[in-house]
Amino acid sequence: MQKLDDLLLALLENPLNVVFVGVLLLVVVLCVAYFQQFLFILKNLSRNLVRSIMVSIAVMLLVVVITLVWTVTAALDQVTQEKSKDFKAIATERFQIPSQMPFSYERELSEGAVRRPGDVTPQDSMSWSFYGGTIDKEHLTRENIVFFFCMEPKKLLRMENDKPISMMDDIDQLSTTDLYLLEKACEEMEKDPRKVVIGVTRLEALKKRVGETIRISSLNYRGIDLDLEIIGSFPKGRYGQSAVMNRRYLNNALDAYNRDADKTGTPHHPLSDKSLNLMWLRVPDTKSFSQLAEQIEGSDAEGHQRPSPFAAPAVKLETASSGIAAFLDGYRDLLWAVSYLLVPSILATMALVLACAISIGVRERRTEMAVLKVLGFGPNHIMSLILGEALLIGVVSGLVSSALTYAIFNWGFGGVNFPIAFFPTFLVPGDALRWGVTVGAVTSFIGSVIPAWTARSVKVSEVFAKVA
Amino acid sequence: MAAESIVRVANLHKTFRRGSELIQVLIDLSLEVPEGEFLALMGPSGSGKTTLLNLIAGLDSPTDGTIEVGADIISRMSEAQLAKWRTRHVGFVFQFYHLLPVLTAYENVELPLLLLPMSSSERRKQVLTALDLVSLTDRLSHRPGQLSGGQQQRVGIARAIVTDPTLIVADEPTGDLDSRSAEEILNLLVELKNGLQKTIIMVTHDPRAAVRAERVLHLDKGRLVREAFHGTAGFNDPNHPAHRDGIAQPAGLQGTQDTGIRTEGGGPV
Repeated sequence: MQKLDDLLLALLENPLNVVFVGVLLLVVVLCVAYFQQFLFILKNLSRNLVRSIMVSIAVMLLVVVITLVWTVTAALDQVTQEKSKDFKAIATERFQIPSQMPFSYERELSEGAVRRPGDVTPQDSMSWSFYGGTIDKEHLTRENIVFFFCMEPKKLLRMENDKPISMMDDIDQLSTTDLYLLEKACEEMEKDPRKVVIGVTRLEALKKRVGETIRISSLNYRGIDLDLEIIGSFPKGRYGQSAVMNRRYLNNALDAYNRDADKTGTPHHPLSDKSLNLMWLRVPDTKSFSQLAEQIEGSDAEGHQRPSPFAAPAVKLETASSGIAAFLDGYRDLLWAVSYLLVPSILATMALVLACAISIGVRERRTEMAVLKVLGFGPNHIMSLILGEALLIGVVSGLVSSALTYAIFNWGFGGVNFPIAFFPTFLVPGDALRWGVTVGAVTSFIGSVIPAWTARSVKVSEVFAKVA
Repeated sequence: MAAESIVRVANLHKTFRRGSELIQVLIDLSLEVPEGEFLALMGPSGSGKTTLLNLIAGLDSPTDGTIEVGADIISRMSEAQLAKWRTRHVGFVFQFYHLLPVLTAYENVELPLLLLPMSSSERRKQVLTALDLVSLTDRLSHRPGQLSGGQQQRVGIARAIVTDPTLIVADEPTGDLDSRSAEEILNLLVELKNGLQKTIIMVTHDPRAAVRAERVLHLDKGRLVREAFHGTAGFNDPNHPAHRDGIAQPAGLQGTQDTGIRTEGGGPV
């Protein structure tokens, strides 16, 4: 029920969906009002049930592919879309990818490198250090690797006046139960930095459960192996593959490594001054962002020189969207091809499949069209019957297909597993129902226009001249 | 007093194009059909009788000339207007029944009523009345494939009369039936004419069907060439030359009358 409620709420969030539901209800009312005609259309479809089912399956498969593609591209579009209010900015190393800044930058960045009166301070901030490792270094596989975001637990989730506050996207969308459990886990992580939260999908891959302890042999922080206790999990979905650790634990481990190095006279850990990978800063609007960028980067929009507090390495501040877009730059061609070649090809294929099937049906029933005309059905009636048959197949197949895609991928697989940048999985949005129906309706309409026009133009005298 | 004409055809021409060739199917044809008449159209293949029937039924438009049915000049109507007009004014009976295979007998008869503003209870009443008239109330839920040829044609007739049309047109309604079923169908048409005062125009090749009509018009090469009336000598004999698809009228043919129908030459038939 909770899942269904979530789906309905997600659907109604978008005004387009409300319009869509309205149109759908109107169609249902029309079907009831013209029930006999609707029944006639249904019976026409049932006359060659195998063909109708085959066409329907073809449409459903293509809608699945389109839904999955759009799930990924829509999510990426959304995160790379510039916001004008209450958005996050990313501070990273200016001239190097991956960004590796000294952790000493963290405090000053979180305060916005404030120097002068009138300088902007971020509303909130979150630091990320990436720590990756394996639970079985002898037999390294994809399954036994885990990748941690090292951060302050309270930035993951804290409750203020019963309202979830998080610097991580979509954490506040979790169910009430999941929010409660995660909040408790964050409190525990704060008290004991050894405690971690790992997504259920990753736990399944690791063959571990909440309550177990693991030892991680690091892949990027060589020599920093950590003992961790799993005290909570992220549900399936966006964070199903993610893992979060208290940053204090990594920093303490680095300090301990360096202390030991001092004792033995060996060099410090190579990443000890490079452990801050990202800083997230929340700003109220674009003006504040611009000013904050000047404070951090040291440039001045009015041409006045202002030294940056971050010289070596230099730091840049971007909006989250452009930051993520920069991460996605490597996939740009792939995403372009998917959006502008694959999807239109699928849509065209769908329309052609429908056109072919409906054309065969119309040709077979030419005499019947003529009989209907004799009985008083006008050309537009005939046309609407054919369009109705196509639309019924398209809309029903689209709706069923997108609903199944939503249910199977979100509830069964925990999202579409398509690791790209730092997005491991993508949840099929509630909007998919609208996509499925719209795609089904539009392609079936396009595919059936010519056959419907052919049916409309059947000349009674010609048909019966041949028959009689 | 003679009944008022319900169908008035004047100077009708119909030409079809086949490739670059123009084929004149009907040539300057005029006729009138009084209300309540049962008229048979006969003639050899290609004589234009089905074309004439289609034109009177509003299924096609003439190349020239006028066709009036009741108060409507249908020769000036557009395709959409004709479709609307047919719903109310014409019931069509086909040689091959042409029932929709996915629909039951009841639904087939109901089909034309879906185009009229009627409640479902009114529709039901009318469908049951029509099926009762053709004695098929026990086959309501049978599909065409489950009915004999004669039964299918009776459903076809019920479908033709369900809207209580001005005119019933039948294109060789007995052409696909055995003699017994054909006799039943012809009896039914006569009953409709006598009991409900329906005007019926029937195309037929069958002299036995033609003798059931009140008047027989013979067409040849697009012109009316002969006319015979019920009650005149020899009319009730199917083998009488009056009912043959002959081209030339035998001299002194009994049962034929000059009714004022004029051929292209202007002389009486």
